[in-house]
Amino acid sequence: MFEKLQRAFWKALTPDLIPDQPKAPTASASRLNAAMLQALGGSANIKSQQPLALTRLRLELHDPQLLDASALRVAGVPAVMPLAGGVVHLLLGLQG
Amino acid sequence: MLSGLALHRHFKESLAGDVMAITQPLQLLAPLSGVLLPLEQVPDPVFSSRVIGDGLCIDPTSQTLCAPLSGVVSNLQHSGHAVSITGEQGQQVLLHIGLDTVNLAGKGFTCLIEEGQQVTAGQPLIEFDADYLALHARSLLTLMLVVSGEAVTGLVGDSVLVETGQPVLRLDPGAAAAHTPEVAGPALFSEPLILGNPQGLHARPAALLAQAAKGFAANICLHRREDSANAKSLVSIMALQTVQGDALQVSAVGADAEQAIQALVALLASGCGETISAAASPEPRVVLDDALDPLWRGVCASPGSAFGQVLQVAEQRLQIREAATSPQQERESLERALAQAREALQLLRDSASGDAQQEIFRAHQELLDDPSLLEQADALIATGKSAAFAWNSAIEVTAELFKGLGSSLLAERAVDLADVGQRVLKLLLGVQEQALNLPDQAILIAEQLTPSQTASLDTTKVLGFVTVGGGATSHVAILARALGLPAICGLSPRVLSLANGTRVLLDADRGELHTDPDPQRVQQLQALRQQQRQRQQQDLAQAAHPAVTRDGHHLEVTANIASLAEAEQAMSLGGEGVGLLRSEFLYQDRSQAPSPEEQAETYRAIARALGPTRNLVVRTLDVGGDKPLAYVPMDREANPFLGLRGIRLCLERPELLREQLRAMLASAGEARLHIMLPMVSQLAELRQARQLLDEEVQALGLAQRPKLGIMIEVPSAALMADRFAPEVDFFSIGTNDLTQYTLAMDRDHPRLAGQADSFHPSVLRLIARTVQAAHAHGKWVGVCGALASEPLAVPLLLGLGVDELSVSVPLIPAIKARVRELDLSECQALAARIIDLEDAVQVRECLQQQQVAADSLVLEN
Repeated sequence: MFEKLQRAFWKALTPDLIPDQPKAPTASASRLNAAMLQALGGSANIKSQQPLALTRLRLELHDPQLLDASALRVAGVPAVMPLAGGVVHLLLGLQG
Repeated sequence: MLSGLALHRHFKESLAGDVMAITQPLQLLAPLSGVLLPLEQVPDPVFSSRVIGDGLCIDPTSQTLCAPLSGVVSNLQHSGHAVSITGEQGQQVLLHIGLDTVNLAGKGFTCLIEEGQQVTAGQPLIEFDADYLALHARSLLTLMLVVSGEAVTGLVGDSVLVETGQPVLRLDPGAAAAHTPEVAGPALFSEPLILGNPQGLHARPAALLAQAAKGFAANICLHRREDSANAKSLVSIMALQTVQGDALQVSAVGADAEQAIQALVALLASGCGETISAAASPEPRVVLDDALDPLWRGVCASPGSAFGQVLQVAEQRLQIREAATSPQQERESLERALAQAREALQLLRDSASGDAQQEIFRAHQELLDDPSLLEQADALIATGKSAAFAWNSAIEVTAELFKGLGSSLLAERAVDLADVGQRVLKLLLGVQEQALNLPDQAILIAEQLTPSQTASLDTTKVLGFVTVGGGATSHVAILARALGLPAICGLSPRVLSLANGTRVLLDADRGELHTDPDPQRVQQLQALRQQQRQRQQQDLAQAAHPAVTRDGHHLEVTANIASLAEAEQAMSLGGEGVGLLRSEFLYQDRSQAPSPEEQAETYRAIARALGPTRNLVVRTLDVGGDKPLAYVPMDREANPFLGLRGIRLCLERPELLREQLRAMLASAGEARLHIMLPMVSQLAELRQARQLLDEEVQALGLAQRPKLGIMIEVPSAALMADRFAPEVDFFSIGTNDLTQYTLAMDRDHPRLAGQADSFHPSVLRLIARTVQAAHAHGKWVGVCGALASEPLAVPLLLGLGVDELSVSVPLIPAIKARVRELDLSECQALAARIIDLEDAVQVRECLQQQQVAADSLVLEN
């Protein structure tokens, strides 16, 4: 709630700083290696990705069917949590 | 694993004898599936230090929390994020879903059980929405902790993955903390104290309190009204479900009762490890006998001066009935009032005189739509309170919360919340809005002026504003600047006792209010205003003339802009280029991020408006933790002004920077493109950005690379300017941040704002040093901070050798005119004198004398 408000007011006060909609970050692919990408159905299958909640990488996949959970584990992802709407959490542990 | 039946029998047997004597190990089942994390690695000291108890942490892959043992639900937090189960042998296990999830206030959680209910091992307790939590809370890391003190042994071995229901811990009985012996004697009670913790005593503060209480032999209780809790028991404290503002008392029986009470009261007052709102311990206001003093000092919120009469504006006090008979009726009348308030706000938005006001009322509508306020009110209505009482409490609690978050901006938002609250409350109570009866030439005085109060003002009758609260970002400041009226903030509360109709002189430029003004001074100021108006017209007429001093030195006057419209306006007002284009504007008022093509097209359009002979200085994205941004997710920072801001953030996300650079490069050739990096403090940052730029220039096959410069807004950059100079094409001094960082004062701080003055000699010395270093390498220096837009500063900056002033668009004619009155050699002598002064006050005085002299000179001519 506070963040939403704070944003709303920053917008009122300094409208040039705050966008209406979050923009999907494009530059944080560093935590996915090639094997992981393949197990996710290739980078083209990734609609968005967002590191969050300290340990997780939240992905939105175009086609969640292409996800290969066991291959992901082999590639070094400790656990995978598929959710509704093509959303998948990769549990990557605390970052160093 | 023990079956429920075996446990039940066990329980009966243990009841027969000493609880501690009969022992059998108990296994705890994994409450969730997921990845195990060693407790000591949990990034929350209260959990990792085991203050609450030993146990384990799971990063969940399932979304239903299940009971790890059979027993009774001894506590279920209203917010649904934590639950305690007491086993049949008295073992207490706390389950805490996620970190800082108390802030979600129940959202994302569905409780399947109730407090006091018997549950069996493995039974589902709470469902949660993992994606919602991941997006809104700090973490999903879930704790299972044994709070009754038994030692635990892990059963999982090396595996890091666990499944719900799998035995994961063994409790070793007998190791539990000894029961508190009965202590006889009279109970001592503390004075009542008001709980300041924004979320009440939830797990973290409760754990610290219990830990402290355990250090005393006395039996200690925490009381809230008729409820009380054993202060040594975390679960018991949590079960009180305290909220901010509760009146608590500590009682103790035993030899060290007095010390215990003292220690615990001190701990509670300090927030038990949390930051608490200042409202819990109101600062005593120092009462000075200044009644006879005709001069009141504040901070300038909007410049100008006015002579008029006092009108005190106070908020109406409303009578609120606490109890109600029908929750259903109350809920309906609240819904009605909310709908009416929304409509009224929409009307205000539609008829608002300016953008700033429109945005403010839009934000108010968003507040009304926020579900957490309604939820809080609903919960109170359900307990038999009236809608007005429930709504008022929800507003008050949340407003206190805002004030306690340690951000001056949010603290000011508490005013908005109170304003929205009052609007709904009046509708609920059927109280008519009282229109202010304004006399002519009114100078409004108030504790705080709310947007609702100012929206309906007849601005033709108002000459100025004076408030006790508020700062540079308060509504009064925004409104006053938009209306071009003088305003000052931060006066002593005693100003509220000035009688209506008192003649006062408001001199906002000096931050002063005179109650017994010298008639001569009034006349002087009025003549000055008249003169100023004439000057403005004259300056405007000559805006196209270059800014050349009387001895023939040309100073470039450019514009600070954030849109194509402003670029065009700047050109028509005589701007010689753009000294600062804030690239953040591209993200304004959009439902989607702009595509690279769109960004490029916008830069091209602005460049075309300038033409190939003018400079266009574009600053790369300048955001950071102090400007909360959703589209670049970043960790919350304890000290955002000293965190990932400006170029630091861009270098962390080089793709963002590359995309921006590519878009900017598309305008090369249309104008003289200059790219500027914000917040540079290290040479490495410049070099890294330079490399990225060179790569993009090469990739696009451009023959010529654009000019690259840095903002000087951190003292380190100013002090190292001689090292930066060979590697840049120009410097531009951001005086706002440079002042904050040099003086270590927040410009929006209600008490320090007046001192965080860019005229401080320390800031001026850094400017002088930067100019020297740049000129030694043949580079130019601009100033794009607020100092450049101050006519008073023009001779000083000119004298210091600054080559370009980038100013806010409407001020271009005035600044150019000021330059034309000056003589460079005189300014240099003046700057040399000023740099040796002691403080900003001396500097301003010196410049004011200079200006008076210059003005009289102009008049003589």
